[in-house]
Amino acid sequence: MERVLGDFVTAARTAGVRISISETLDAVRAVKVVGYRDRTLMKDALAVSLAKTVEEKILLEDCFERFFAFRFFAADSDRARKDRDIPSLLQTESSLARLLMEEDRAGLMAAMTEAARLENISQIRYFTQRSLFALRILGRMGAGGLDGQIQSLQQIDTPAAAADKARLEGARAYLVENVRNYVQSQYDLFARNEGERRLESELRLVKLSNLEQCYFARIYNIIQRMVKRLNDLHSRRRKAARRGVLDFKRTLRENISYQGMLFAPSWKKKKIERSQIVVICDISRSALRTVRFLLLFLYGLNQEIAKIRTFVFCTNLVEVSDILGSGPVDEALTRIQGGTDIPLIMGRTDYERSFGDFRRDHLVAVTRRTTVLVLGDARNNYNAPRPENLKAIYERCKRLIWLNPEVPALWGSGDSEIRQYKPYCTMVKECNTLEHIERLISALVRR
Amino acid sequence: MRSSYEEQFVSIEAVLENLRDVDYIANRQMAMTVYLACRLGKPILVEGPAGVGKTELAKATAACLQLPLIRLQCYEGLDESKALYEWKYGKQLLYTQLLKDKMDDIITRGNGFKTAMDKLHQYDDIFFSWPFLEPRPLLKALQAKDGCVLLIDEIDKSDDEFEAFLLEILSDFQVSVPEIGTVEAVTKPLVFLTSNNTRELSEALKRRCLHLYIPFPEAALEREIIRRRVPDISVELAHQVVHFIQDVRKLDLKKVPSISETIDWARVLMILHAEILNPALVRETLNIFIKFEDDVGVVAEKVHHLTAMAVK
Repeated sequence: MERVLGDFVTAARTAGVRISISETLDAVRAVKVVGYRDRTLMKDALAVSLAKTVEEKILLEDCFERFFAFRFFAADSDRARKDRDIPSLLQTESSLARLLMEEDRAGLMAAMTEAARLENISQIRYFTQRSLFALRILGRMGAGGLDGQIQSLQQIDTPAAAADKARLEGARAYLVENVRNYVQSQYDLFARNEGERRLESELRLVKLSNLEQCYFARIYNIIQRMVKRLNDLHSRRRKAARRGVLDFKRTLRENISYQGMLFAPSWKKKKIERSQIVVICDISRSALRTVRFLLLFLYGLNQEIAKIRTFVFCTNLVEVSDILGSGPVDEALTRIQGGTDIPLIMGRTDYERSFGDFRRDHLVAVTRRTTVLVLGDARNNYNAPRPENLKAIYERCKRLIWLNPEVPALWGSGDSEIRQYKPYCTMVKECNTLEHIERLISALVRR
Repeated sequence: MRSSYEEQFVSIEAVLENLRDVDYIANRQMAMTVYLACRLGKPILVEGPAGVGKTELAKATAACLQLPLIRLQCYEGLDESKALYEWKYGKQLLYTQLLKDKMDDIITRGNGFKTAMDKLHQYDDIFFSWPFLEPRPLLKALQAKDGCVLLIDEIDKSDDEFEAFLLEILSDFQVSVPEIGTVEAVTKPLVFLTSNNTRELSEALKRRCLHLYIPFPEAALEREIIRRRVPDISVELAHQVVHFIQDVRKLDLKKVPSISETIDWARVLMILHAEILNPALVRETLNIFIKFEDDVGVVAEKVHHLTAMAVK
């Protein structure tokens, strides 16, 4: 039974339930206590000890139904009825042939699962392995003997032998079909999510600008998971880390009631500052996708972790923190681009004017605690770059990070002015995959 | 060691029966979880929407086992001194004052600083011993001789640090008091933790617990609960009330009514001597089970339709 449960846990993990070893042990003990007579009871016992959220419980239930499905070797009524009356001449020494002839479904099922277990069916990973596994399981069950019998019957030339041969061939086809189905279901259990997982790890590395529209939903999922991880990681408040040096005045004050004996010291507390982030993004077409995903990330972060103000520019620059704060990022971006209620001009990208706008109107947003993120390819359409505007921002902030969606080889080519801006950036980074964005943000919120 | 609850809860059916005797109607899954928790000696983490009877389950279990229920309500800022133990500073001070002369005597009688110090060392443990220890819920639960039911309510409201601190208790049923040593449970308590999921609990905590999710009950179960809790209610009215509430739960509301609200409503209807639901009555008593102004609007619009459905 432990082995079956072990396989079940593997299958559940494949389905996306997180199960640790100690939980597996609990499940084994729990099943021992409730027994495995009652199917629902056993399912509940497993759900209570393995799945720890509501979503996981649903996944586990689905997995349970598929794993303990006994729908193989369904009675093949056609075949059975047709042949029942004909007396068999067959000497059925081989156990497999006997099981098939007697239509012992439970026996067949047991033989098949045992053979599958010996062949380590839980190791199946790729769909190309299916026929191989089916073949091996058939071999273990003794299908070879069946073939031999059919061949020997072929040499006898009587009507009875022919009838027997037909019956055996029918039985063999029935067996093969069921084993195939079984292997398919096992593949679904143990390996179905494998491809999905591989796709995800590749999506993290693919250039956002090359991304097909159909993967967007998946990307959102990945981003949500990454954001959740970051939130979990950074929203833990650590009291110990916050404790500072001895606060002597307060200690004296508080210990007056103990006749001035100092046995309840109090400590100064370090104040932890939220990261303040100012994002300035180019939302012309060349950079839009990266902007979208970066903003999805940033606005997914807990408000406790970071305080964010966002400005977008194309020909001129406008603050959009309110629009982004009020609804889903995607809708907000469509609204911004549509330019319905904001004075944004979507003409040619003009870095000179946009940075000028920022310096004139919003420079107070930048303090010495602020991290400024500039996202853009610095392609200024051959206008003068005028880096002194950027310099003014750089001098006020804690650090200024320029994210360039282009690959480094293209920096400075054509109308790209990144070289002129680079001296006034703390660092310039390539940013065009999810991986880049994640790394950047986890560096930003680290304290 | 077989504890008393293992003797009483011999099977899942016994758990169901026992809970029913104290007017708590559980479904099979809940009964099984309690049964498993007794057998495996593991805490139960109960989750579910507010008002489905999470806390009540612990209370009912305590009642039918006839064990004391020790309750620890969690809140932000809860720490060891309020959950586990505290030294009685006042008593310590008072005793030192009272014994001042005695101590002077002991210390000065010796000749020389070193002997005095040695003598003092002989007595220093006196002030950090059991009589000066104020046990808080967790320590009380470990010390209970015949076992007890420990309810750690709304664990999600506490800080991460407290959650981490609980881990030792939940897995080994022991705590460390630095001045005294490790205190082990006399009899393992039966532990319930409840959570409303306002924040995600840590993996480590979840791993140590059996996880029970209590959803809103099905109509049949809810009818039974109503009949148990409001014994005077007529079968017909109970049927209508439950039907109505079940329909309200399908609406898009800020807070859907849970079992406790159904019970309240049934009680109110009994006080008003209602025999049957009608739209006017429902509209008057809507605020019993709908707790937000916006929701009242949503439900009020549909009262006619919903009542007609329920009465039919």
